[in-house]
Amino acid sequence: MNCDKARDSDQSQASAPDGPLRLQVRMASNPHLLSVVRNIVSEMAAVSGFDEDQCGCITLAVDEALSNVMRHAYKNRRDGEIEITFEAQADCLEFVFIDRGEPINPSRVCGQPLDEVALGGRGTHLIKQIMDEVCYERVPEGNRLRLKKYFSTSKSKA
Amino acid sequence: MKTATRVQPGTTIVDVTGDIDMGSSPGLRKTLLESLKMAPRLIVNLREVRYVDSSGIASLVEVLKEARNTEKRLVLFGLNKTVHQVMQLTRLLKVFEIRETEKEALEA
Repeated sequence: MNCDKARDSDQSQASAPDGPLRLQVRMASNPHLLSVVRNIVSEMAAVSGFDEDQCGCITLAVDEALSNVMRHAYKNRRDGEIEITFEAQADCLEFVFIDRGEPINPSRVCGQPLDEVALGGRGTHLIKQIMDEVCYERVPEGNRLRLKKYFSTSKSKA
Repeated sequence: MKTATRVQPGTTIVDVTGDIDMGSSPGLRKTLLESLKMAPRLIVNLREVRYVDSSGIASLVEVLKEARNTEKRLVLFGLNKTVHQVMQLTRLLKVFEIRETEKEALEA
């Protein structure tokens, strides 16, 4: 398991709306569906209580994660299956991605130093800049990536 | 995503409309690289771009590198708040020539 936690534990400040907010999407690894998922993520983040700027950043991070699954786990195949679970918890909004593609190189999940004119590597950099926790695991079903954004942090406004 | 190309003496202007993501960025890259060959300066109008991801940013970086290699100029203008934020998060605001308006881009 490869996890990156950028948040101190004392930053928690629950602000999730009453009742469970949970949504599951099962989709093909087709880039034409990215805009559909962006709309869902943006609405989910707004309903969960994030402000407009944070909704934009969270949407970007989820879009980058999904693009990485399509590009690296499924090698641009469009018929792979991706399951995404969106869940507002007491103190955060969590996104879990499960795919049945090839294993991801953990060093790629960790991100690499940002070279100003490099052609790749910015997606992971963006995810890590925006989200508070990024956790990748190889599981029996395939790859599982978990992203968390806490309600009280302002990291996305960097 | 759609593009439209306008040619002026010494300058090519590409108007981009829509979202730039993993699905659309290869088409944008191709259009911009072709447009770069047409004049010494390429101006890209991003006013109608609602969203750009890292693949779109990578396409712009590739065009910038090609412009530098061929001693041409790439100027971007009309970045909305979202696109500006992505440029900021990827630390590219100072790498690109960015202007507010088309007039400013033409005067650059």
